[in-house]
Amino acid sequence: MNAYLGVDIGSISTKGVVIDEENNILASDYIWTKGNPIDAVKRLMNSLKDQVDNDRVKIIGIGTTGSARKLIGSMLNATVVKNEITAHAIGTLSLYPDVRTIFEIGGQDSKIILIEDGIVTDYAMNTLCAAGTGAFLSSQAERLGVAVEDFGKIALTSQKPTKIAARCTVFAESDLVHKAQMGYKKEDIIAGLCNSVVSNYLNNVGKGKKIYSPIIFQGGVSKNVGVKKAFENEVGTEVIVDKNGHLMGALGVAILSKNATNKTNFDFSMADEEFETKGVECNGCSNHCEIICVSKNHQMIDSWGNRCSKGDLINKKKSHY
Amino acid sequence: MNNIKIGIPKALLYYKYSILWTAFFEKLGCTVVLSPDTNKDILEMGIRKSLDESCLAMKIYMGHVEYLMDKCDYVLVPRLKCLKKKEQLCTNFQALYDLTQNVFDKQILTYNVDLEKGFTEEKGFIAMGKRLGFSKVQALNAYNLAKLSEEKQKKKKAKERSVILKTTKKLKILLAGHPYNLYDDFIGKQIEAVLKNSDIEVFYSDVYQALDIDKEIEPISKSNYWTFNKEMIASIAYHEPLVDGIILITSFPCGPDSLSNEMILRNVHIPIINLIIDESDSNTGLITRIESFIDIIEERKKHE
Repeated sequence: MNAYLGVDIGSISTKGVVIDEENNILASDYIWTKGNPIDAVKRLMNSLKDQVDNDRVKIIGIGTTGSARKLIGSMLNATVVKNEITAHAIGTLSLYPDVRTIFEIGGQDSKIILIEDGIVTDYAMNTLCAAGTGAFLSSQAERLGVAVEDFGKIALTSQKPTKIAARCTVFAESDLVHKAQMGYKKEDIIAGLCNSVVSNYLNNVGKGKKIYSPIIFQGGVSKNVGVKKAFENEVGTEVIVDKNGHLMGALGVAILSKNATNKTNFDFSMADEEFETKGVECNGCSNHCEIICVSKNHQMIDSWGNRCSKGDLINKKKSHY
Repeated sequence: MNNIKIGIPKALLYYKYSILWTAFFEKLGCTVVLSPDTNKDILEMGIRKSLDESCLAMKIYMGHVEYLMDKCDYVLVPRLKCLKKKEQLCTNFQALYDLTQNVFDKQILTYNVDLEKGFTEEKGFIAMGKRLGFSKVQALNAYNLAKLSEEKQKKKKAKERSVILKTTKKLKILLAGHPYNLYDDFIGKQIEAVLKNSDIEVFYSDVYQALDIDKEIEPISKSNYWTFNKEMIASIAYHEPLVDGIILITSFPCGPDSLSNEMILRNVHIPIINLIIDESDSNTGLITRIESFIDIIEERKKHE
């Protein structure tokens, strides 16, 4: 049976799926990236390998997405490397063909994707600042001495959410400390934080965009029921969180690899190969580009980061031989 | 008097006045020394010489001035406040001369334009010529000739682009922003490179034919008084029906843009994204945004 592998590797977590021709998920996993995408992908591959019947399932397409898509793409010899906006939209559309709006809040990114008749018509992403993303929530949870996984449940118990200024993480933090010292209840502060994430998101990322339902909410923060509820209060309609919401990017890029013309033959053996990355400073000019070289078993397989052809190490090496 | 070397920093207003400046000094027989395209060394020198809160374009500018220090007799740093009645330029351009004079121990050559106070560009150039030891007539002549060649070259470029705008079969994206952001190697050029790699025809908001700025801006804003931002807003409105998408480029943190970007984003009804560029080195986030933007435009086109 032919199958397709999709890997979505983000700043915080790494997601992978194996699907069949009908987009059914044969195997999936969700693990922490822990700042080491190479190791995370190896762990992911071992887990996926154990879940599928290797004699029967033959992986002929590989897609990668997420912020380390390029690195992982060369490691896996991917047939498709695609940005996460497109991947998320394709994945979500395969399960919810009539979706109009996707809210996505991840570890460092937040984005909104608008869809009309099954095609992406507009999107927006947070600009420089990571206020109101998962990283913000987990740092605040730590400050309050609450596990971030319990955040949502606690928020739901609040009767009167406190107002927290969330435009900037630094100010939110001092506002939060101040409110706590004033004697506001912990659950009210937590609910206030959830509300502020939502209003921050709608004002910054979603500003000026017309939001139509059905709305799907995904990304790590969608697991927080407090934020989901805050979204519903704010937009005045139901917000859907799929149990596989975290896999949408991986699913989307697996589907893209299914639709692509180039095919491969993948057997998970890369999990046993040795991969290494190395930063090299190019001294070709005063830009001093930092070039990333990826090697497999001590052989360079890819490089990037160069602004001009002087630093195009991989092609230089190829022409050398 | 012969062979005075005038250093021109390749940053900020250079991208608006390059022809005028170069032609003026060359007509007077001076040698023009240009700083190179922005590179990492220049950026780092600039950061060291700037206030933390300065915008990226200003930091880059200071690096270019520093580069020119030991390579010329004078560095040209104009002081521009008002080019059109009831309008203003960003305070950075008003303060540019004083700022550089205070930071660098160097002969700075300047000219002042403040129309509301009667200081025209022509007067400024004559005073500048005199300071270099030329007569009023020589300076005026050089200015007039430089003005002519500026106009001629701008018209030629605008015409070429407008023909391509009408005839190309490729996807068309307008890069909108201040020229010093659009054409800088560290800001707009890296965005242009990604677009050209994807076989997209790129247009710029400062290149246009017959644009009536006041007419275009009338329905959008009556109170905006930043000359460069008015031009940008009007050019975007003019290009909107002619291109497939718009990328709005801002250098962080820009005061006037923070106001006018809001106006633009709310008034444009074709795909548009705002990319804010700071001094950080990594362009991963940037490429993700541009790639998905191209995907969206291509998908839209396919379904039209």
